[in-house]
Amino acid sequence: MKHYEVEILDAKTREKLCFLDKVEPQATIAEIKTLFTKTHPQWYPARQSLRLDPKGKSLKDEDVLQKLPVGTTATLFFRDLGAQISWVTVFLTEYAGPLFIYLLFYFRVPFIYGHKYDFTSSRHTVVHLACLCHSFHYVKRLLETLFVHRFSHGTMPLRNIFKNCTYYWGFAAWMAYYINHPLYTPPTYGSQQVKLALTIFVICQLGNFSIHMALRDLRPAGSKTRKIPYPTKNPFTWLFLLVSCPNYTYEVGSWIGFAIMTQCVPVALFSLVGFTQMTIWAKGKHRSYLREFRDYPPLRMPIIPFLL
Amino acid sequence: MAAVAATAATKGNGGGSGRAGAGEGGGTRKKKGPGPVATAYLVIYNVVMTAGWLVIAVGLVRAYLAKGSYHSLYYSIEKPLKFFQTGALLEILHCAIGIVPSSVVLTSFQVMSRVFLIWAVTHSVKEVQSEDSVLLFVIAWTITEIIRYSFYTFSLLNHLPYIIKWARYTLFIVLYPMGVTGELLTIYAALPFVRQAGLYSISLPNKYNFSFDYYTFLILVMISYIPLFPQLYFHMIHQRRKVLSHTEEHKKFD
Repeated sequence: MKHYEVEILDAKTREKLCFLDKVEPQATIAEIKTLFTKTHPQWYPARQSLRLDPKGKSLKDEDVLQKLPVGTTATLFFRDLGAQISWVTVFLTEYAGPLFIYLLFYFRVPFIYGHKYDFTSSRHTVVHLACLCHSFHYVKRLLETLFVHRFSHGTMPLRNIFKNCTYYWGFAAWMAYYINHPLYTPPTYGSQQVKLALTIFVICQLGNFSIHMALRDLRPAGSKTRKIPYPTKNPFTWLFLLVSCPNYTYEVGSWIGFAIMTQCVPVALFSLVGFTQMTIWAKGKHRSYLREFRDYPPLRMPIIPFLL
Repeated sequence: MAAVAATAATKGNGGGSGRAGAGEGGGTRKKKGPGPVATAYLVIYNVVMTAGWLVIAVGLVRAYLAKGSYHSLYYSIEKPLKFFQTGALLEILHCAIGIVPSSVVLTSFQVMSRVFLIWAVTHSVKEVQSEDSVLLFVIAWTITEIIRYSFYTFSLLNHLPYIIKWARYTLFIVLYPMGVTGELLTIYAALPFVRQAGLYSISLPNKYNFSFDYYTFLILVMISYIPLFPQLYFHMIHQRRKVLSHTEEHKKFD
């Protein structure tokens, strides 16, 4: 069996960083990254981007050396992706924040509202209901992160955690401030409005969870396979007939429900911003599906049936 | 910020030579410009804007000569100022439809900050209209815009006189700080009147469960100048070095 030689150059300076000899032809990029870390321990595998062309796309961890368009001496170019943090860590942090922060406002912890309101409780039922819904939502997200989701990527750039947490924590505080305010005004149409909103919210929470479970079942544990998702026996998944990312559709629906329930402009704004971001993600995901699968169902739209 | 931002290195209005020294004297890769119809439209747009800001400049001079003082000149150019500065909103559209290769986000930020100062501060708080700080930013904007729009006009016609390029990338050194000072002083002068009148503010309780304090908002706007202005200013300084030295090199070969 002929061994390969692999040289790794810096993509920007072309400086020779590492030379590996006697590399197995069946070695994966992941294994090469591990070898590279031995000579440069500050560049752990997650922050390495190796490519065949300095300006080209990153090679995947699963790619096998033998199958790449290289001779027996392969030249790979390295780019430092910067400090990385695991997706799980980011998700847990960005979701735990809103859960905790909302409760600070709900319990009217000192220095938020006037001193005479410290640790008082709202007299409006909807405020207690809103706290339940908001808390349930983030507990669900935390549990899904720990037990349901199967991530394709292990890590993301470290700076994302600051950006993401600012967004989630900031909006949570802003919404919670008004909903739990002593001068909060309950919805105009009273309990009718709240009941309708709660129904929307619950349906969308169940829907979102169903989609997450369906997506999880598409992919075996530890794998990174990608398949076209299809409706299952669960009626909530039937939205797959019309939409590529029904999880986002349901998520927007939940927040619209919450906005109607609380009749609070900051909640509506949060829903709008979230909708904008999720639409961008859904369009991207939809495009990837179309590119990867010839037989992708043509009726589907990215996030809103027939429209968007 | 509005003064700084508008001259900041956007390619804007089809000029092309704004960023990365491309276009002048060739040598770098040729950019695909807007089609002939779009180019004609943009030339007309930039000529009209140049003319508009010239009208404002002339209006200022005439009012100064007539009055004998530089106080309260705002009133004599209020209408053309509002018209032509607001008209710049079209530049956002130009980026969005792709006839100008600038970022929609950056252009929006630049134009909106100008429009904000004109309408949400100067127009809305009548008491500041007689402040000298208004004249400070109006003069800075006027000179900047006359140069900027003529720069784009000439660039589109592929015939950019060096003096215009030089002016665009040099005068900002004085005009930016001057404009920023005028803007900040004007916002600061508006504060007590905003507080007094509760302008654009909404307080609890209300059925939307929302509150907004315009006074605090204006203070945050002023604070935002601290990180933003140096970044934009030093970006322009960097651009100046690139653009003006690039031309010098080509002159040697001519």
